[in-house]
Amino acid sequence: MRTVLLTGLSFVLTGAVIGNAYYQKKQFYPSVVYITKSNPSMAMLYIQAFVFVILMGKLMRKVFFGQLRPAEMEHLIERSWYAVTETCLAFTVFRDDFSPRFVALFTILLFLKCFHWLAEDRIDYMERSPIISLLFHLRAITLITLLGILDLYFINHAYYSTLVKGASVQLVFGFEYAILLTVLFMAFVKYILHTLDAQNENPWENKAVYLLYTELVLGFIKVVLYLAFMMIMIKVHTFPLFAIRPMYLSLRGFKKALHDVIMSRRAIRNMNTLYPDATPEELQAGDHTCIICREDMLEFSKKLPCNHIFHTSCLRSWFQRQQTCPTCRMDVLQAPRPQQVPQTPPPQQQQPPQQPQMPQNLFQGFAGMPPIPGWPPQQPVQQPGTSGASTTGTPATPTTPNAPGSGTHTVSATGTHPSTTWPTAVPNMPPFMPPMFPFVMPYGGQGMPLPPTRPEGLTDEELKNMEGQERQNVEARIQWLRDIQCLLDGAMILIQQYNTVASQSSIPNINLSGTPSNNTPTDTNNASSSSREKSKESSPVVNNDRDLVKDLSDLEGATGYTAYRRNDTHLGRSNTRRT
Amino acid sequence: MAGSALRRLMAEYKQLTLNPPEGIIAGPVNEENFFEWEALIMGPENTCFEGGVFPARLAFPPDYPLNPPKMKFTCELFHPNIYPDGRVCISILHAPGDDPMGYESSAERWSPVQSVEKILLSVVSMLAEPNDESAANVDAAKTWRENRMKFEEIAAKTVRKSLGI
Ligand SMILES: [Zn+2]
Ligand SMILES: [Zn+2]
Repeated sequence: MRTVLLTGLSFVLTGAVIGNAYYQKKQFYPSVVYITKSNPSMAMLYIQAFVFVILMGKLMRKVFFGQLRPAEMEHLIERSWYAVTETCLAFTVFRDDFSPRFVALFTILLFLKCFHWLAEDRIDYMERSPIISLLFHLRAITLITLLGILDLYFINHAYYSTLVKGASVQLVFGFEYAILLTVLFMAFVKYILHTLDAQNENPWENKAVYLLYTELVLGFIKVVLYLAFMMIMIKVHTFPLFAIRPMYLSLRGFKKALHDVIMSRRAIRNMNTLYPDATPEELQAGDHTCIICREDMLEFSKKLPCNHIFHTSCLRSWFQRQQTCPTCRMDVLQAPRPQQVPQTPPPQQQQPPQQPQMPQNLFQGFAGMPPIPGWPPQQPVQQPGTSGASTTGTPATPTTPNAPGSGTHTVSATGTHPSTTWPTAVPNMPPFMPPMFPFVMPYGGQGMPLPPTRPEGLTDEELKNMEGQERQNVEARIQWLRDIQCLLDGAMILIQQYNTVASQSSIPNINLSGTPSNNTPTDTNNASSSSREKSKESSPVVNNDRDLVKDLSDLEGATGYTAYRRNDTHLGRSNTRRT
Repeated sequence: MAGSALRRLMAEYKQLTLNPPEGIIAGPVNEENFFEWEALIMGPENTCFEGGVFPARLAFPPDYPLNPPKMKFTCELFHPNIYPDGRVCISILHAPGDDPMGYESSAERWSPVQSVEKILLSVVSMLAEPNDESAANVDAAKTWRENRMKFEEIAAKTVRKSLGI
């Protein structure tokens, strides 16, 4: 009602303006001149033109869309706001060639944009309306054709005017219409797919796949267009601020499409190759309704690793959105290799048991050590009477203060025999051990040997290397844990030696049974020999991928790797949703 | 045919009419469009919304049940988990991935296991027990937390309004 009133008012005012001019000048040309010279009259005429545009829009809308649904209206208004804001921003860039013609061109652009959006929405609606009338097809086809012709015309116009007159505002129009053309093409493809789908009696499984790929290709084209536009604009004019938001959106859309394609391909491949078809017995046994479509599963169903059964086609369309089990949300991309993800692998097991080769030179390096005959098999030498006291007490506190640059280890065994200290040079202590770590081994009673928690001793770069979830970060963490292991091994050797010496000179032993799993004395030789071998390696610790995979899975929990990876999949999933 | 979404919605509608859950009525606005539903939700007993009848609209996406519907109360409802414009903000209506509030576990989110009935039952329990941690209506959450008397007063007013008194 109000719009009718306003429209009427504008017509009346326009009539008044023209009538006034004609009344004053009596002739046609003088009145035209009078009107163009008079600012209020011109303003009135511009408003009238605007009203005409709106009326035209309404007419076109009636012709092509009929009544708009509330959702479409909402969508249109929301998008128009952004478009108007961006147009105003664009005006600031091209304020030099600001003219009525220029405003008119932008208005036409906005106008056509609205129709593209409406066409998009309307064609999306096809999928959910049970009956599609002939009128709908007629409207859709004429609209798409008309918009396509207009887009092409404007692109062509922009192209030639740029060729003839050089870069101008036509550049913006050219790109805008090119983008609109991609939108229109997408709508067209959707229209064709929906129409074909509607002809079929059965649901068409591959439709979603085609849609996904079309989206991917068009997303790529859009991104390329926007990037080219950015580059040219920066070169010719200034940074096109008004194109930032749509460019960001198209980048995001492309990334999502790419991610969707990759993840869903992977999940569907898994489904086709890894998961078994559900047997009739399994279908009979349980509730044989597919939870996705709520229809009976008679055939063509697959069983996921979590034992949930779905229609193959339902599962496929679900995997195009998310790669989880619909019922229990198990991540299907994680699941196929469950044997490689042990639950709580102790980090000490990272080094595979090796041949018990006794590193002789390791012990020759200890100054003043007596030769130890048949050391490995005879370890540990324990004296039952004192072992209890030594585990719970504090006799074993081997500290290895490793001053920067000095390769000297000092073992001071406090407790019953505090005076026994060996200032020993250990040439075969791990050379890759970062020498700047002042290192204290907190061996209390039966406590675990805690890793050195002194991050302030690390350089920023090393800390940075260990953060994150990239492969090299995990490798850095593994390296760090290995360093710790080597230090532990070194300490173990010193304790062993202390025990040997002590057993010979009948002083209490250090009981090692309280120390963690693999560093029990029987294993020490293995661990130390392996650490020695490691220490000889100048090549990176991780030699091949299989090693790394094993290491990674072993280190779960120790490095926080699990948590990071879970996070990762969660983040990844956030992109999977199709809107 | 128009696809599995329509068939599933029809199945759910049939299920809802055969075994209607207590305090809930729901169905398509008209038989031509199964993707727009209207629901009537009774205020749960022994809460400040008791006795009220609240109309809401559900809009289903074309790929339902792969994506959740949108739900919006068409009456005024002052509640921590309902936006001032009527949109309902509960985790079951969010696809895993989009997390407007940032602290919902994906286990409570939408998946094809859920259904219209489960959504409406969740809404009923949301009416009974507002979750003021992920507030959609900050005012309501604040009132609910700090001035329960006033919250109940407003609720009683909406109940009367919903009955047309
Ligand atoms: Zn199914
Ligand atoms: Zn499952």
